[in-house]
Amino acid sequence: MITRRLGWAAVLVLVLLAGGCGGTPEDPTAQVDSPDAATATDAPAGADTDAATGAATDDGTETTGAATETPAGDGTAASGEPIRIGVSLPLTGDFSEPGQGIREGYEVWAADVNDAGGLLGRQVELLFRDDGSDPNTAVSDYEQLITSEEVDLVFGPFSSRLVIPTSEVAEQYGMLFVEPAGAAPEVFERGLEYLFYAAPAIASDHYDYLAEWILALPEGERPATAAYASLDDPFAQGTAYGLRDQLQEAGIETVADEVYPPEQTDFSAIAARVADANADIVVGGTQFEDSVGLVRAFQELGYQPRLAAFSTGPTLPEFSEAVGGAADGILSPVGWSDRAEHPSNQEFVASHTEMFGRPPSEDAANGYTVGQIVAQAVEGVGCAEQGDCQTQLRDYIRANEFETVVGPLSFDEAGRPLAAHMIQQWIDGTVEIVLPEGSEVQTADIVNPKPEW
Amino acid sequence: MPSGSLLLQGVALGVLTGGVYALLASGLTLYFGVMRVVQIAHPAFLFLAAYLTYALNTAFGLDPLLSMVVTVPLFFVLGMAIQRYLIARLRREDLGMMSVLLTFAMAILIEGLLGLVFSGSYRSVTVDYATRSLDIGVRLPNDRLIGFAVALVTLAILFAVLRFSRYGQALRATMQHRDAARLVGIDTDRTTAIGFGIGLATAAVGGAVLALITTFFPAAHYAWIARLMAIIVVGGLGSVSGAAVAALLLGVVESVVLVSLDATWAGLVFYLFLFATLIFRPQGFFGGRLAERF
Repeated sequence: MITRRLGWAAVLVLVLLAGGCGGTPEDPTAQVDSPDAATATDAPAGADTDAATGAATDDGTETTGAATETPAGDGTAASGEPIRIGVSLPLTGDFSEPGQGIREGYEVWAADVNDAGGLLGRQVELLFRDDGSDPNTAVSDYEQLITSEEVDLVFGPFSSRLVIPTSEVAEQYGMLFVEPAGAAPEVFERGLEYLFYAAPAIASDHYDYLAEWILALPEGERPATAAYASLDDPFAQGTAYGLRDQLQEAGIETVADEVYPPEQTDFSAIAARVADANADIVVGGTQFEDSVGLVRAFQELGYQPRLAAFSTGPTLPEFSEAVGGAADGILSPVGWSDRAEHPSNQEFVASHTEMFGRPPSEDAANGYTVGQIVAQAVEGVGCAEQGDCQTQLRDYIRANEFETVVGPLSFDEAGRPLAAHMIQQWIDGTVEIVLPEGSEVQTADIVNPKPEW
Repeated sequence: MPSGSLLLQGVALGVLTGGVYALLASGLTLYFGVMRVVQIAHPAFLFLAAYLTYALNTAFGLDPLLSMVVTVPLFFVLGMAIQRYLIARLRREDLGMMSVLLTFAMAILIEGLLGLVFSGSYRSVTVDYATRSLDIGVRLPNDRLIGFAVALVTLAILFAVLRFSRYGQALRATMQHRDAARLVGIDTDRTTAIGFGIGLATAAVGGAVLALITTFFPAAHYAWIARLMAIIVVGGLGSVSGAAVAALLLGVVESVVLVSLDATWAGLVFYLFLFATLIFRPQGFFGGRLAERF
């Protein structure tokens, strides 16, 4: 079945080459400057090319990246067919915010690669599909991208909830699946061989540096009790429970452990339960809305913990404003910092700022990291196509270390990254990296106990 | 089992939240009571109003409550226009079904527009008085208190208008028997359009309250559709006072379950009440015969 499709693809490629290529690079979409407008694709190269891209647009695929700023005749123009990379992302619906962030990261990566002459001398082209945050749509997106679009590579979607089902599809077709946002422990417990998570650490290790620091505190300063509140989501729970398990083992008593569903909009009663336990440290396995809701409710209830840590929410720039200045002292794990001096990080920040008019988010950095890993693997192995090449890419990634914007990354057998998240803290209205202490990424000393909110 | 003080705190928060629920659901009872229209887009309009409140707050520093001066008349006119140019064109026979489709389309349209203009980012309006609270043994958060007060005033006005004004009489007559109402000289089309306008105006008020108490993003309305629908069914479709009682009841039960059990069970409360209502008292626990419902 697949081989027959490949046969047809070969025929199609020949026809396209014969009919479409008059020395002009494929499909100069050149929409990267205004990604929101990137719906229409004009392919002036020739009739056949036109038909091909037209078809792609019809079923909802947006193409960007290929031949950006590489006009015909440019000395750096890559030769041959572009490397086509299929991506399904939640561009609308519940995860649209991080989904768009990751898309930006992918687009900046594609533009950077193409500006530098492409991969293996070929341009890269991204095919985006919008799964509306729905796992079923995401699954069929990847099925189609792999089988009918016959993309050369795929990049992963956002969030563990979409990564878990879609990575099964990639595995089934033997496609390398480097993903930017599936950090939940469950993601790596299914024996998948083609999956790699392109960030420093999986969810349950996010708070490792914080746990280490807390447990090293002298007896009097160390919190005796802890309260946890977590969104019912594999990633969010993974972060909170990673810390809980370490603290519990060290004898810090759990006095509240709350879980709430994703559709929860009112956090006052949950907060009342947590506040009633009056723990020394409060830990939220949160995303944005719930972290803001909980902090505001704690303020209203007059609960003043000595330490407060929340995942994800406080890492977004709008957090401080949303909680009305109560952000000071709040700790969060963070996988990437725009100030980190890793090679390529400052170039990434500059490219992103130039392209989108604002600095990148952590999601964009994770998207960019996916690109960097795959690019290094493709250059290392010397191929980018479906079939045996994907296995070589997988083996290459397992065996090597990668220079990325989040620092050097390598992976274990299950695709888990083997680095660690930094811990950030809001101090006087800005985000500082406070842990690990004494490292080159640290920008300020941790404030303990936190100021009252 | 939670301590007494926690339980009391839960009840207090439940009452305040229930008041806000009553406000948010009040428009729905109007649409359904008056026009048999199921308005799926009501929560979307709530968040549209919240975004407008946010925009007015960031652009002019306008207080969320003051922004109602702009949004309420705007939504009233918008509601009349929607009724006149869209809803009125649906066939009477399948109005229930078609209005679901029409208003769902509106909801998606609003969500898309909000995403386009404001992006998918979370927004919130922060005023310094909102995160403080009144401590009277239990803590009453200021933003909830304000929300509750606004709800109380709005519902009182709504009730008074429907019950005692000449327009209210015309509206009730239109509900009871459209043709007979027309025979005694009531302009039923105009009455209906104003009814829809009032319904949407409550969304403007509700949006301002939501902006004050919560963060929002374009797709936030989905979480509210089923919850508000459950409230008006339990309250007796079309009964403003019934919906208010049901909202308070559900708010308190939800909150008490939350502090004594957990959040997942609390979320089920709405549906358990919905099922119980449909099984034991399909006309709603607080609704009487349609004609008496205001």
